[in-house]
Amino acid sequence: MAEPGIRASGYEIKEHVVQADWKTVLNTADTVSEYGATVDARNGELEAFLEFRSPAPEDPGEGPLAGLPVAVKDNIAVRDFRLTCGSKLLEQFESPYDATAVAQLKEAGARIVGKTSLDEFGMGSATDTSTLSATRNPWDLSRTAGGSSGGSAAAVASGMVPVALGSDTGGSVRQPASFCGVYGLKPTYGAVSRFGLVAYASSLDTIGVVADTPQRLESVFSVIAGSDEKDQTSVDIRSMQVRETPGLKALTVGVLAPDTADDPAVQQAVRDVETYLQSQGANTERVNLPVLEYAAAVYYTIATAEAGANLARFDGVRYGERPLYAENPDELVRLSRSTGLGDEVKLRILLGTYVLRSGFHDQYYGRAQRLRARISRDMQDLFTRVDVLVSPVFPTLAFPLGSDGLTPYQRKQADRYTTVANLAGVPALALPTGVYDGLPGGVQLTGPKGGDFGLIRLAKVLAGVFPPPTPPNYPRVWS
Amino acid sequence: MYASRIGLEIHIQLLTESKIFCGCRAAFGDEPNTNVCPVCMGYPGVLPSLNGEAMRMAYQVALALNCTPTPHTRFARKNYFYPDLPKNYQISQFGAPIGTDGYLDIEFHGKTRRVRISECHLEEDAGKMVHAGDMSLLDYNRAGTPLLEIVTEPDLEIAEEAEVLLMQLRRMVRYLGVCDGNMEEGSMRCDANVSVAPEGAPLGNKVEIKNLNSSRFVRKALAYETDRQTDILERGGTVTVETRLWNENRDQSEPMRTKELAHDYRYFPEPDLPVVEADEAFLATLKASQVELPQARMARLRQAYDLGDRVVELLCDEKETADFFEAVIQEGADASTVATWLTSDVRKLLNRHSVSLADSPLSPARLARLLSLLQASRIHGKIAKQTLEAVFELDRDPEEIIQEKGWEQIVDPAALADLAAAVVADNPDAVSAVRAGNARPLGFLVGEAMKRSAGRAEPRALQQALKTALSVEPLYVLDFGGAIGGERRPDGMVQAGALRDLTDMLASEPDLPDSIRFEAIPLGGFLSEEITPGDWAQLVAAIRERMEESSSGVVVSHGTDTLAYTAALLGWCFPNPPVPVVLTAAVQPEQAPAVMRSAVQAAIELPPAVHVALTDGVYPAVNLRFERVDTASARFRTWNEEYHRPDQWPGFSLPDVPAEELAERFDAAMQQVHIARIYPGMRSESLVRLMDAGFTAFVLELYDTGTANLGHSPFGLRAAFEEARRRGVRIYCTSQQEGVVDFQSYVTGHALWREGAVPMGSLTTESAYTRLIAAMVCGDDIDEAFAGMEHRGSTTDG
Repeated sequence: MAEPGIRASGYEIKEHVVQADWKTVLNTADTVSEYGATVDARNGELEAFLEFRSPAPEDPGEGPLAGLPVAVKDNIAVRDFRLTCGSKLLEQFESPYDATAVAQLKEAGARIVGKTSLDEFGMGSATDTSTLSATRNPWDLSRTAGGSSGGSAAAVASGMVPVALGSDTGGSVRQPASFCGVYGLKPTYGAVSRFGLVAYASSLDTIGVVADTPQRLESVFSVIAGSDEKDQTSVDIRSMQVRETPGLKALTVGVLAPDTADDPAVQQAVRDVETYLQSQGANTERVNLPVLEYAAAVYYTIATAEAGANLARFDGVRYGERPLYAENPDELVRLSRSTGLGDEVKLRILLGTYVLRSGFHDQYYGRAQRLRARISRDMQDLFTRVDVLVSPVFPTLAFPLGSDGLTPYQRKQADRYTTVANLAGVPALALPTGVYDGLPGGVQLTGPKGGDFGLIRLAKVLAGVFPPPTPPNYPRVWS
Repeated sequence: MYASRIGLEIHIQLLTESKIFCGCRAAFGDEPNTNVCPVCMGYPGVLPSLNGEAMRMAYQVALALNCTPTPHTRFARKNYFYPDLPKNYQISQFGAPIGTDGYLDIEFHGKTRRVRISECHLEEDAGKMVHAGDMSLLDYNRAGTPLLEIVTEPDLEIAEEAEVLLMQLRRMVRYLGVCDGNMEEGSMRCDANVSVAPEGAPLGNKVEIKNLNSSRFVRKALAYETDRQTDILERGGTVTVETRLWNENRDQSEPMRTKELAHDYRYFPEPDLPVVEADEAFLATLKASQVELPQARMARLRQAYDLGDRVVELLCDEKETADFFEAVIQEGADASTVATWLTSDVRKLLNRHSVSLADSPLSPARLARLLSLLQASRIHGKIAKQTLEAVFELDRDPEEIIQEKGWEQIVDPAALADLAAAVVADNPDAVSAVRAGNARPLGFLVGEAMKRSAGRAEPRALQQALKTALSVEPLYVLDFGGAIGGERRPDGMVQAGALRDLTDMLASEPDLPDSIRFEAIPLGGFLSEEITPGDWAQLVAAIRERMEESSSGVVVSHGTDTLAYTAALLGWCFPNPPVPVVLTAAVQPEQAPAVMRSAVQAAIELPPAVHVALTDGVYPAVNLRFERVDTASARFRTWNEEYHRPDQWPGFSLPDVPAEELAERFDAAMQQVHIARIYPGMRSESLVRLMDAGFTAFVLELYDTGTANLGHSPFGLRAAFEEARRRGVRIYCTSQQEGVVDFQSYVTGHALWREGAVPMGSLTTESAYTRLIAAMVCGDDIDEAFAGMEHRGSTTDG
């Protein structure tokens, strides 16, 4: 078949930088300083990092991720780094502890080099709700890197790090990964411990991985996947009974029936993957998901309800920015929150308070929970018929920053493809399929609970045909 | 008529090592903010991790409260902002609590009630905010301590019941080892819901009372609240639904500021914690490891060791004491002796040394050894007490102590027989007097022998040796006045006088054994109606003394009019005498020989107990009543014999104090108690005036099974009862007829119970009155005395 879906229009597609190179970046004083200078220069225009620290040169030592520089989204705790969550209220807050996933990365030899930008508390899809920075897309500085893990996606896509942790509550890893042309995994709910991830919507939150290659994604995910006694909702997916994802010839693929309102490039990407899989002998079938219509509404009801409670702790009493003087505890809390929190956060807290209000609880929150159960059941049924679902990640490619972009309502509606996986607790992976009119595009693979490694294997196969694109100024080698 | 419904919400802090959702130590009194971590401080990114121990304890309490355990329990978030709540939501339970639909049986003033437990749920405690000047300080050491909230249905009716429930729950959780139950320190906390409505009407408007941090405040606050609501309704008003705070300094409740109540908690399932499964295996393990609960243990001890209710309650109040008690019995000691020692002397020493049984030098083995020394007569009672004190002071074995101190007595029968023989040989005058039929010189001979042994002869064995040497059985006859000892004057009137010579009177009795020797001890030449507190004290002291010395028995001659009082009093004071104590009386001096004969016979033949022997037979000491049938004859009969069993109203043990102090105690007790009888036209005011005069307890004779006018008019007793309750004055109710007063059958009876009347069941006024006097004389304080009036079994079944 002929170059499926790849539209090289002004941007070169480079062969991918090999993993071994990254492992030597932090070896010597020279490499560290060159690395630091590169990041500084690149970050100035992208604002992907909120905090970057050139680590002391060090022999990589042993471990599966020895010497690998890793960036961490700034809503995940790294001891002695700040943990701002993109919020003014936590601008100066330093974490006294490591998230479990971070501790596991360090244990495996990885080096945490910085904290990446995000929408405030993960609430947004353009990394523009934070008052601390606004991240730009390495492919087009006038466009968004996506959100809320836009910093992590931009940092990986621009070659500042090979891999970064993000968090995904309704698509926050997959959508920016797709906007920036890199790989993004939202694992099965609980597959990675949430301990240390600042909660937005606890029953939907996951720590995910943004990586330059599916191989890297796999090696990092392997390290952080597992159950954790500090997170009693965590599970060990390796011990789960999951149907083995078969080879392409025996694969049954569900392909979401296209929505003609979506960007043509988005529809094209799905068709490209479908065509390729068919050509390899896979059995494909068009799938309709009626629950998609409700997904965004259900998601925003449940997520904001939980967020209202989760963000209640940010009151300026024990930590965080607070007024110099308050008449009484009530006033202290009111002033801290009204000045410390941004508009989108306030909106979602108010919405969450509204949907849980006595007398309306069942009408909103109760109904959303029932629909969520329905979505889970539908997804479970689907995966008795198909091994994997191929769908768009987002109805558009990276949209322009500022008023040229989507309205807040459009943005929320657009979360329908990604939120389903969060509501059902199943794994989903965004992968690039090429560059479409100068912007990267791709698809989302969704699998059954515990099927995370199956999705990664399929991504590796597809990477041979749809090699990951790299934007201009991508640094070649660190040696 | 109004009915009140009270429901409680009780929080107990579970005694886990660590907090409910993190590994911090769950301890208080440490430096502020030292037992904290990012989790219990609500730092960004942390997650709760449920403590299995808290879960286990919570299910244990739920099972002990007869709840149905929830197989899949889950947590919920309760949202509200308060600076001491680190996350600004509390992890609690809603919808699927640990257990539901349980109950706890409580008893107050003779009425048993099943209080339904609607649910038990687990949650986390908040920190503490302290206001200091213009600052507010926060201590989060307590934040995250596991709390179990126990919610009752509104099944309680009066404040006192709430207090009883709390005390019972406290004892239960202490037995389970899951909470120390200390309300003052906040490890057990209580909020209450009170609603008053006309009798038979649906539940009225509910008022919540908070800040009840002692069981006493609970009682006061709830009594205040039921009165407050009743007053409002009686004036035609409406009770406002609100939350009120108890102000302990002003003894009243005040409405809470509305700002603090406008809470919509917006519960939703806690997404950070999984549903917890309490499967069969888990519940089976819990049930298997369940300790015997207080009520079950009390029932078992009562039955297995034949102990009275009050003793059982004292033994079982703390599990430690009950365990100790049974451990001593395991060592071979006699149960009732152990019970007596533990509840009297040991308890006093523990108080004096401010030490718990577990931390004291007294071990079960040591107490058992001490009692076996006493039982083998190697030491006598006084030395045993002395030895016990020495064990506390020296922390040594009793055997070592008595050997070292030379406290061991001479008990060898051969040695004592030699001693007796020598004394008999050296005192021919006294011996011949005894042989001639007089018991009085026996005392002199015992004294002589004791002198020769340098005080080390065991008194009882020595007396026995002397009695054997002389072949006599002494019998003491105490002359307590009355016609039996009186004289008929020439004009036919009877006046008080001395008891006539018993030797003469009984000389012609062929039925009495030859070995009997009498000593007549005059206690007073008075008639029955002239008895004073001092006389009773003297009688009790004399019986106590003679019981110790006599091997045959004590006879008390008495007048008829007040015999029913004295007999019952002796019955309460001497529940287990070593020898028979027989009271007797004659209506006319001429009957004296005949009644004396039957009394002496009873003293020889009947088992050791207090009896009343009259010409027509023998009666039990309690519930006797004197009735004049016609002008010539009078008789005694026993009331409610079929209901009254001695184990229902056990006796007391006399304090080991000298006769003078006993007299003071009798005097003090009798000054405080008044007997009153209701009658048409009786005014509440008269009782109130008596309260003003200093009476703290009444025996009130009601009609039939316990009815009285409880209206609001001057002739209704409501005002008197309200006043009594307010002052802590007790009103013990008996019947003018033969009614068993239990307040079960009439609405008015129940209303009396609500107002605090204590039903005396089957007891006659005489027996109830003397029971109260005995309880006050034998008790350490008024509370203990009042407690002694509560203990009895059910009047219908065992």
